Amino acid sequence: MSTAAERAAQLDLVTRLKSSFPELPNAPTPDMLDHERITAYLKPVHDVGGEPDAPMKYENKQYELWEHMTYVICEVLGWRGIWLSEERRRMGNVDVGRAEYLGLPYYGRWLLAVARILVEKHHIGLTELSERMAEVQERYAGGLEGKTLEAQPKSEGDGSQVKRNNHAEEADGKGDPQCYAGQAATAKFKVGDPVVVRELPVIFYTRTPEYVRGATGEIEAVAYESPAAEDETWDRPARPEWFYIVKFNMSELWYGYTGTANDIISTEIPEHWLQAAK
Amino acid sequence: MTEHDHDHDHDHDRTVAPMVDEITDFEVLEIALRELCIEKGIFSAEEHRLMTEFAEQIGPTPAAHLVAKAWLDPKFKELALAEPMTASKEVGVDWLHPTGWGTPSDFTAFQILADTPTVHNVIVCALCSCYPRPILGNSPEWYRTPNYRRRLVRWPRQVLAEFGLYLSDEITVHVQDSNQKHRFMVMPMRPEGTDDWTEDQLVEILTRDCLIGVALPKAGVTTNMITDTRPAIHPGNAG
Repeated sequence: MSTAAERAAQLDLVTRLKSSFPELPNAPTPDMLDHERITAYLKPVHDVGGEPDAPMKYENKQYELWEHMTYVICEVLGWRGIWLSEERRRMGNVDVGRAEYLGLPYYGRWLLAVARILVEKHHIGLTELSERMAEVQERYAGGLEGKTLEAQPKSEGDGSQVKRNNHAEEADGKGDPQCYAGQAATAKFKVGDPVVVRELPVIFYTRTPEYVRGATGEIEAVAYESPAAEDETWDRPARPEWFYIVKFNMSELWYGYTGTANDIISTEIPEHWLQAAK
Repeated sequence: MTEHDHDHDHDHDRTVAPMVDEITDFEVLEIALRELCIEKGIFSAEEHRLMTEFAEQIGPTPAAHLVAKAWLDPKFKELALAEPMTASKEVGVDWLHPTGWGTPSDFTAFQILADTPTVHNVIVCALCSCYPRPILGNSPEWYRTPNYRRRLVRWPRQVLAEFGLYLSDEITVHVQDSNQKHRFMVMPMRPEGTDDWTEDQLVEILTRDCLIGVALPKAGVTTNMITDTRPAIHPGNAG
């Protein structure tokens, strides 16, 4: 039970959490926002490549048990047809929003994605999840005190009626993306072709990084066929297309690049994001 | 302990609240979700156990063996570069394990980037943390930081210098941003002073950092550049 003062203190804390431009008020009127700022707000938050940052101390980290268990639960949900990895990547890395993306531990976001998919696909009710969380809290009231962290399911469900995707059957013995081989139209580009990355409007999700949009590169490899991430992430039917590894000269890609004239960066891009360079 | 130290401890007992080993918010959520999934048959306890066992045994050792074998055997190097998933089987890694279609998060499109005297490769996933988990284990914490992901794609030479890797201008840096379904690892060049070494000796100097591309293998260097490790509150068996 919290006191009124504790509740007020928590609200004060949340108020100090900033994830917006400081020069703008909250919920600005349309005339206050230009295209650049709207694009910035709508940018999928996982796309951090090229954002300026200062050097920091790089460290390793020992795994928390819950982090390991979170990784495992995510993989089991993929294995058992509850989600595609592309759904997980969107829910944990983008849908969480800027404040949680930058504020929470890496596996904290994975775990929230698990809760999100199970609730959104109607496998678990949010009320029963909250109740179960309260129950687990109660089980460990007063701390661990020698108890181990363990799940204590009350039963084992029959799972035959659980709604699942067909990915395991489709990919069995082949893998992903091999399961999409032969389904795309003829590849439009070949190795060595110069291409420009289109500047398609982006809302909600993409895996084509902002830092290459509008830039000219060269096809380094014709990679594989797969549905575009923007479609696969909603697990909707979409015709696979060719993906390409595209290389960019970094001195041309980055304004004021500080390396040599030959340095290159390669990244993978689906065909619908590319057009032939003139 | 001296009498003086003993008194000092007692002073603290009066002012500091007793330590309670609290269960954390994420631990509560993870346990609640796992229990409900098993109760509803979304997955079985047995399936969860199998995946846990798989996840606990992955690590960088097979990747180091793969590169050492390639250094020793030009035919195997050819295979490793042309059919990396076939070559992986030689070091005990089947990319279709443990589900029959791979680990869902890692996909089954693997490529090895071979360094040359004029090109140095380094990997990053600027969008999340794509990494060749089945053969290289879990990625290190720093690899997943927004900091490494923001900067490596734009200031690679500066970031590599922070790992103690200074590259001359004659060497081209090739950054591979693995952002979709491909997974990459680096095959560095065999260093001097290792001429008569066995595979096991070579494996010793093929650290995880060398296979990411933030370090180069050197005779005598058997540890990663980054060794500082933050301890977990309630550690598990992975990592």
